[in-house]
Amino acid sequence: MERTIVTTLRGSVVEEDVELTIVELGRACDASEEQIELWVLEGVLEPSGPSRQEWRFGGGSLARVRLASRLARDLELNASGVALAIDLLDRISSLESRLGR
Amino acid sequence: MKYKDYYETLGVARTATQDEIKQAYRKLARKYHPDVSKLPDAEARFKELNEANEVLKDPEKRVAYDQMGSNWKAGQEFKPPPNWDAGFEFRGGQGGANPFGGSGESFDASDFFESLFGRQSGGAGPRRRATVQGEDHHAKVLIDVEDSYRGAERSVSLRAAVEGADGRVALQERTLDVHIPKGIRPGQHLRLAGQGAPGSGGAKAGNLFLEIEFAPHPIYRVDGADVYVDLPLAPWEAALGASVDVPTPEGTLQLTVPAGSTAGRKLRLKGRGLPGKTPGDLYAVLQIVPPRADSDAAKAAYETLAKAFPDFRPRAHLQG
Repeated sequence: MERTIVTTLRGSVVEEDVELTIVELGRACDASEEQIELWVLEGVLEPSGPSRQEWRFGGGSLARVRLASRLARDLELNASGVALAIDLLDRISSLESRLGR
Repeated sequence: MKYKDYYETLGVARTATQDEIKQAYRKLARKYHPDVSKLPDAEARFKELNEANEVLKDPEKRVAYDQMGSNWKAGQEFKPPPNWDAGFEFRGGQGGANPFGGSGESFDASDFFESLFGRQSGGAGPRRRATVQGEDHHAKVLIDVEDSYRGAERSVSLRAAVEGADGRVALQERTLDVHIPKGIRPGQHLRLAGQGAPGSGGAKAGNLFLEIEFAPHPIYRVDGADVYVDLPLAPWEAALGASVDVPTPEGTLQLTVPAGSTAGRKLRLKGRGLPGKTPGDLYAVLQIVPPRADSDAAKAAYETLAKAFPDFRPRAHLQG
């Protein structure tokens, strides 16, 4: 009988070990660079680096951009609407985690 | 296959204008969007809304759908009448609403939708044959809190739409064995380089991102890197202090409960939360459980207690 040897894949933990460029972030989250730039201007994301080409996004940006991208697409929100929704969702989740303790 | 009443889904009359449909969809989409809604069936409702909107917002599809007549009831057994779509020509228009799709996944349409409008292929527009890096894919992995303490291996089954040599899109399933690193927290992502969609023209494959979700645990609650466990105490243990066993995902620990502890107080076991560069803490949340007065001896014990505290007024602060 033929046996396949399966190797276990090891990934990197995005939130701990990864920094993303605007291109990588856009590709990972199905968002355009223009959208991401607008979200940066609204304060949804806080990259390090002086200019768009040199921006580096912390791994935590991945989940935020995915959320922003879903909200923008599904609810047709503009950048400030996305920023407001995410602020409120952040507040709800911190209140909920206080309740859960 | 059951008939779906798309007008009912959006709560509009069959005579609704395109603007009314848009308005109804938007209102319901805000209500049932799974990122926003706490309703348990939000995801399913949102999918139904999107499918209804996909048909009704598009005048061509709407006319074709209306063509089947208005005598159908939602949930009724349905078979498309022969040649019902003769004379209609559907333009692309796919890939518009792609709820949760993320990249690479196909529009998640019901059998009913597909019987009418065909299978929706993921991604918009014609595929170019140039050198293009493969798309990144996303999936979720459910793990237990213990897996984060020890590290683990998980088999992950993924289904992705793959375009065959004949240009047809088919669902393909594959299984990956993935190492879950010690210390991973809920909501974090693992990036597996090159495990996304293959690139075309010799370009690199995309990445696969796995979002880590923790299965609910009967004892432990996880918040970030911190872990909470309720610790019930007898009233005398709380009052006099005690050394008690606390379960943790890495084994039982001894905890000293100080005398005079009250319910709701949290005792911190530093560094005993999820492991990592900065490990989390484990909190034992004290609960005080009085024994039941269900025997004469127990009743006598409570009566003795009452006599021992003649001045104890637990409701003193309620009196103005």
